[in-house]
Amino acid sequence: MRSPSAFTFAGGEGLSLAAVAFLVTLLCGVPLALLFAIGLTSEGGLSLGPLADTLASRSVQRALWNSLESSFLSACLATVLGTVLALALGLTNVRAKAPLVFLILLPMMIPPHVTAIAWSQALGPASPVLQAVGLAPAAGAPHPVYSLAGLVALLSFQHMPIVFLVVRAGLRAFPRELSDAARVSGARAPRLLWRITLPLLAPSLLAGFVLAFVSALGNFGINALIGIPARYTTLPVLIWRRLAGYGPSVIGDVALISMLLGIVTLGLVAIQVLLQRRMRNALVGLPQQPLAVDLGRARLPVEASVWLMLAAALLLPALSLFATSLMRTYGLPLAASSLTLENYAEILFRQAVTLRAFANSTVAAALAALLIAGLSILLGYFLAMRRGIARRLAGLVAAQADVAYAVPGLVMSIAFILMFLRPLPVLGVSLYGTMAIILLAYVAVFLAIGLNSVMAAYMQVDASLDDAARVSGAGFFRRLVRIHAPLVAPAAASGAILVFLTSYNEVTVSALLWSSGNETIGTTIFNYEDGGYTTLAAAMSSITVVATVLVMLAVNGLARHVPAGAIPWKD
Amino acid sequence: MKTKLLAALMTVSLATPAFADLSGKLVLYTSQPNADAQQTVDAFKAKHPGLEIEWVRDGTSKVMAKLQAEFAAGDPQPDLLLIADTVTMESLKKEGRLLAHEGADVSAYDPAIMDKDRTYFSTKLITTGIVYNTGASMVPASYKDLLKPEAKDSFAMPSPLTSGAATIHMVSVTSNPDLGWAFYEGLAEQGALAQGGNGGVYKAVAGGEKLYGFLVDFMAIRGAAEGAPVAFVFPEEGVSAVTEPVAILKTAKNVEAAKAFVDFLISEEGQALAASQGYLPAHPGVPAPKGFPARDKIKLLNFDPAAALEGDAANKMKFEEIFGG
Repeated sequence: MRSPSAFTFAGGEGLSLAAVAFLVTLLCGVPLALLFAIGLTSEGGLSLGPLADTLASRSVQRALWNSLESSFLSACLATVLGTVLALALGLTNVRAKAPLVFLILLPMMIPPHVTAIAWSQALGPASPVLQAVGLAPAAGAPHPVYSLAGLVALLSFQHMPIVFLVVRAGLRAFPRELSDAARVSGARAPRLLWRITLPLLAPSLLAGFVLAFVSALGNFGINALIGIPARYTTLPVLIWRRLAGYGPSVIGDVALISMLLGIVTLGLVAIQVLLQRRMRNALVGLPQQPLAVDLGRARLPVEASVWLMLAAALLLPALSLFATSLMRTYGLPLAASSLTLENYAEILFRQAVTLRAFANSTVAAALAALLIAGLSILLGYFLAMRRGIARRLAGLVAAQADVAYAVPGLVMSIAFILMFLRPLPVLGVSLYGTMAIILLAYVAVFLAIGLNSVMAAYMQVDASLDDAARVSGAGFFRRLVRIHAPLVAPAAASGAILVFLTSYNEVTVSALLWSSGNETIGTTIFNYEDGGYTTLAAAMSSITVVATVLVMLAVNGLARHVPAGAIPWKD
Repeated sequence: MKTKLLAALMTVSLATPAFADLSGKLVLYTSQPNADAQQTVDAFKAKHPGLEIEWVRDGTSKVMAKLQAEFAAGDPQPDLLLIADTVTMESLKKEGRLLAHEGADVSAYDPAIMDKDRTYFSTKLITTGIVYNTGASMVPASYKDLLKPEAKDSFAMPSPLTSGAATIHMVSVTSNPDLGWAFYEGLAEQGALAQGGNGGVYKAVAGGEKLYGFLVDFMAIRGAAEGAPVAFVFPEEGVSAVTEPVAILKTAKNVEAAKAFVDFLISEEGQALAASQGYLPAHPGVPAPKGFPARDKIKLLNFDPAAALEGDAANKMKFEEIFGG
């Protein structure tokens, strides 16, 4: 039997690893390295000068401060909301947990630009729902969502599900002995929560907070559609506006601002990793069924408040979005005479761009999902090894994917423009302005999502299976195809579906990469809204939301076949 | 021999009728609203069913940024541009990016709005004035009314960083001796929201988030016809105007089809289509649509295109400084 450390780079195994490493480095590592190279050099030498110049600009300072302020506040709120919900669902005997989890995670899967459009329609003077109940603000009154508070509320609502997932996973891995011991010693629920549960959850809370913070920093849809009318410019909007308004002649300037955003993001992640290392509590106990504390008479009120909160957060914007999509023209009061299906007819039958965008996004998202599933199965095989050069190399590759996922999509797309604007060597064509650049960017940015799912499955595969096949003389590809792939396939599939949904609904990556004939659903909705065709934007958003919910429900069918945790909205 | 040649030439010209069956792909970059762009493209395609037409819509400034990116990548996509203003076209012409279409028939048009070298052609007259929400208490008649307390924090305008029409409006208004940059500074002190394009302003005023705005005429007049709570004012100082010119790029891949598209837009039929969409046609023989005053009643602010091109970057910088970009 060959031990993992006897690994050599000969044969299919070595070649496969080399190929994956090359591809991922080309897509994730090199573009970012190029971005940093531009930012950190001046006149051929290493220099912090350009970055310092960028930081000295007043508009950059203001945008940086706004980004930090809104992201910090929204991360705090998201952490509180997500944790409360995770505790309510993870520790108590609240009923109907499955549909609740589905609804709690829904905001995460709805594209942020759609959330922004829906809320701006829901709370303004022209709100169809508020007008119907006579609560709409008077014409000319300031729009409540177009403010720092509105921006923070929407961002935290969008990212609350991330915190919920992380804290719930933390609760799962929670050793029951401690809480049992405390309860036996007579500690009551609040004391248990305060002295035992929350301190033990600290690493999860921190991770959730940082994830929400980083997601808010890179969020483009909400920052643009709410921040611009609120006159509150954040870094992603500054980057987008400069590049969309002045073109690539300012790419150097924009690259520096993106790098700044990238540095802030990576810095936060690094701090989190450091803090978590210090906090790690070595605890006894395997993952087990979480507690189901009997709430007694409090159960009904707790249930009612959870459902009410979700209803207010989901129903009001959804109804407004749907009602606006049926309006003859924006600004009319809600009445039978102002309703029409014209907007749907316009986007489905007359506007060529809409159907093209649906087709483009579907194909690009599906291809990205397939490619990522393939890459993840291959890369995961090496990551699951216990040690050796191959494991270390694979770890290096996976780290690049993690970084590409962590930095905001807009930063990655700037890096992609830097890398692919000039014609490719040998072929002589530029990828910029083609669907290929968007597809490759999806693979680079969302690889980490697919890899995560697959790794959950690889960890459960017994290493002796591989050894047995080796001893029987099976080559690398044979083992991969006959043993590993079938075992991790369901997880890879659910990872692929997550990748599909994420790319199908994104706008941050394609906002700067789209071109004639290569529009995505996200850019089309965004451009309708930005161009003032809010009824068309509402119609297209409604279709997207319905499609997303249907895909999520369809994925539930996969639930029995995948390891726990592979589908976020399933237990 | 001579007659044979002549006969051969005759057959060739007969075999190529005025509307040759064009084929292949035609790519158009435009700042027209989506629905209008689609209608225009559909009407043209009805004449040439063999053509495949692809188009992209965005604000003029953003269309230009996209095009600059494609120039840099060495592969400009569009055959044709149909954007807000002649100033932008003039700068492209200077860079040598535009193809002359010598055969275009512009005899009916005012020579002042057509390029004498036939590289770009004005297709309509789009004026920018004041839109207001009909729920507002004050009905503005002059630009200066917007500095009144009633308009405090409830005024929106398109940004020159997005919109070509807004750029021309800014230059026209600020070079008016009665208004000047002091007027724009006054608007900033009023808490004016100056971001995005005309569409965003329309949405804000129609939705009642803002009560007043600078806006292109057709959006307001058309919205009012559909029943939206908006109305349009031609201020007493005058309105600014852009002419939405069309041009063919030198790098066009389908030059014949592009020329046919230009011919279509400036034909009486194309002009009638523009009028039916609610635009003031550039062709003097085509009547204005409902909701517009008679053409000789519309007063235009003075505008010097050469000076506008010269001071373009400086003007935009000044704007960014006043309104914070």
